[in-house]
Amino acid sequence: MTAPSPVSSALPGGLGVLRAAFGRPSGAIAGGWLVLIVLGAIFAPLLTPYAYDAQVLKEAFQPPSLAHPLGTDEFGRDLLTRMLYGARTSLSVSSVSILISVAAGMTLGAAAGYFGGFFDRAVTAVADLTWSFPEILIALILVAIIGPGVSGTMAAIAVAYLAQFARLTRAQIMTLKAETYVEAARSLGAGHAHILFRHLIPNALAPVLVSAMLATGDAIILEATLGFFGLGAQPPTPSWGSMMSSGSALLFKAPWIIVFPGLAVATTVIAINLFGDALIAALDIRDKLGSKP
Amino acid sequence: MTSLRLRKTLAAAGISLAALFAGHGFAAAQEAVFVIATNEVGAPTYNPIKANNLNIGTTLIFDRLVSQDADLSFHPWLAESWEEAPDGMSWVFHLKKGVKFHNGEPFNAETIAKWLELFKASENAYMTEAIAKVEVVDEHTVKFVMSRPEPNLLYNFSSSYLSVVEPKSYQALGDNYGVTEVYGTGPFKMESFTVGQETVLVRNEDYAWASPLAKNRGPAKIAKLTLREIAEDSTAFLELKSGGVDLLLGVPTDFLGQVKAETNLEVLTLPGQDVAYMPINVTKEPFTDIKVREAAAKAINQKEILESVYGGVGEVANTFLISALPESKVDPKYQISYDPERSKALLDEAGWKVGADGVREKDGKPLKVSLWTQSDSSFRRLTEVVQAELKAVGIDSEITTFDSSAIRDQYKSGNQQLAVRSYNWDNADIIDWFFGGDRLGYPNVSMFNDPKAEELRKVAMTGSKNMAERVKNFTAYHEYVLSQFPMAPIYQPVTSIAYNKDRLVLPAEIHSPSVGATVIMDMEVKE
Repeated sequence: MTAPSPVSSALPGGLGVLRAAFGRPSGAIAGGWLVLIVLGAIFAPLLTPYAYDAQVLKEAFQPPSLAHPLGTDEFGRDLLTRMLYGARTSLSVSSVSILISVAAGMTLGAAAGYFGGFFDRAVTAVADLTWSFPEILIALILVAIIGPGVSGTMAAIAVAYLAQFARLTRAQIMTLKAETYVEAARSLGAGHAHILFRHLIPNALAPVLVSAMLATGDAIILEATLGFFGLGAQPPTPSWGSMMSSGSALLFKAPWIIVFPGLAVATTVIAINLFGDALIAALDIRDKLGSKP
Repeated sequence: MTSLRLRKTLAAAGISLAALFAGHGFAAAQEAVFVIATNEVGAPTYNPIKANNLNIGTTLIFDRLVSQDADLSFHPWLAESWEEAPDGMSWVFHLKKGVKFHNGEPFNAETIAKWLELFKASENAYMTEAIAKVEVVDEHTVKFVMSRPEPNLLYNFSSSYLSVVEPKSYQALGDNYGVTEVYGTGPFKMESFTVGQETVLVRNEDYAWASPLAKNRGPAKIAKLTLREIAEDSTAFLELKSGGVDLLLGVPTDFLGQVKAETNLEVLTLPGQDVAYMPINVTKEPFTDIKVREAAAKAINQKEILESVYGGVGEVANTFLISALPESKVDPKYQISYDPERSKALLDEAGWKVGADGVREKDGKPLKVSLWTQSDSSFRRLTEVVQAELKAVGIDSEITTFDSSAIRDQYKSGNQQLAVRSYNWDNADIIDWFFGGDRLGYPNVSMFNDPKAEELRKVAMTGSKNMAERVKNFTAYHEYVLSQFPMAPIYQPVTSIAYNKDRLVLPAEIHSPSVGATVIMDMEVKE
């Protein structure tokens, strides 16, 4: 049919890459930790006998013990339970918002890079404009407009990282569209949509996906930050950021309330970055990623 | 004098030995750093006419006509004495002589006339609205001709919003008055002011007219006072612990144990002027039904909140007013307290039946409402307990957190159903402020506009000839408002002040409802 399938050349067997990433020691440890966290989030209800929103005010501020391995918070709720459910919030909010961001960013960036002209200039201008603000600022402005809560946070994070993916995709498409196989496809009479979706986007995918993975780490921090300000998931839904926020006021009285969620955020983000590095090495695409991954 | 200069020279020359022996006291002779209470953080101006949030600095830069003791009785200040006509239709105030503003302008009867003219532009103009005419009798005597008796006049003149401003500079500076420059007659002059960060005040050396409630009438003992604004309580506590600041004007109950554990720190407790409460928007379903409002109000377990959230420090609130006010002594049947069985029965009666997951339902619709709160950690914590208590009777509430500075504008939309908030005031006219039918949205978060309440409100606000009548009228107004359940009272905190006793000496008796100019006049830095 068309030229040799470019998909396989860009992603040399998805599983193979994963295996290569896990093959490195840092990748294996980081990946293992991530799998553990994801499993903990998914199976939270089976792993703990407590409900995340059941207040037992008499049992507030208990330090870690056998009954409560990570202690209880200021409402007497089991901290481990809240950490597991909090992982659900943190991981789902950050990954869903990055997914939205990637989808929208790739579409815009690909269209801009492929068609060029006025549309390209408009997209680039807007992307550069948002790029010049810190993500947290954009997110705060958007949450102020949309209103606090999970959906507001998702939208805010998605928009905050949009420019990054749009720019990355656009740059990829710009170089790829001069390749011979694209010219070949065009001379065979292929339409714009066909060229974009069959040839260009699949080849631009790998660096975008890796950068999306790294951005997910940043998004977890951004979600925690919004939660810390009380603008993320609203109580009683736990999120690591809001747990740290209430713990910060009780730092001296019950340090475990802030320490454990803080550790969770830190280790998860480090793990994502290490695993992302391993993926970059496995895919050998370091030079394709921009300066701001 | 010579030895002091010598020591200063030595220290300046870099020989720190002398300073080391002299200790901390030498390094900051009669200089102190206070941290203002978190609910006053971010006050944008020291303009008492335009502001609706003033911090403690206002009480130091300005004086008022009347001062108030801890027992809420009234005493002279810039006014030496006053007489009220028997029918309440006029007041004569005799002003203190020899009082000067920071910019050298004299304080006299003419000042009062001009200042009250300017005050008409204030959001708080209701405080002087009963004064029909200001007559200058002589240089130090002023007569107020009243349009109606105003038993609350002395209270109003003791309020920080009626701090006496210097009219000439006020008009000349416009919106900069209170921000870049400010002139009052108070014991301290403003040296610099950075909104949200700090205010540096220096002693007014000419000051000799403090309230008789202070022992020291002359210039303040503290020469330089820095008021810092620290929004985060734990940061403020660490600053106090490490000696970076000398006094915290508001310590949350969570920190009291740690403050008391430090040997160099001392806690001073004053009766609070705050009430935490849950406004209920009477115009939003399902709270248009008074039964549902009563049910929500009686689901709040004030005792449990006092014990678990506030460690037993403070008092429960069963009415809308602080318990020091006579108008809070309502007929017990109007008090609002925890009664879960009544709550459940009322919800059943109103047609809200318990559904599968414990949340009540009516015609297939779940009893789900919004619960607004502000982002300070203490509010969020209280709100989460309220949420669990509402859930216990079958009301599912969804918390929405707003930034503390933005929530007032959000209330103006009128979309709130339930909220958790607090106010700080020590006069019964706060009922008028928060439930008056002409202030819907904010301050009237409950959107309460009831014809009978408006009638009682008018009588209470403008129809009382003397204090006894005012108390009676306000009590009746208060009782009626309570009977309509536009809110649920929750908690009355005490004000806890923590200070470094190695650095500061506080007066033995506090003759003021809160720490302000009267108390600070008698404070001293240990040297």
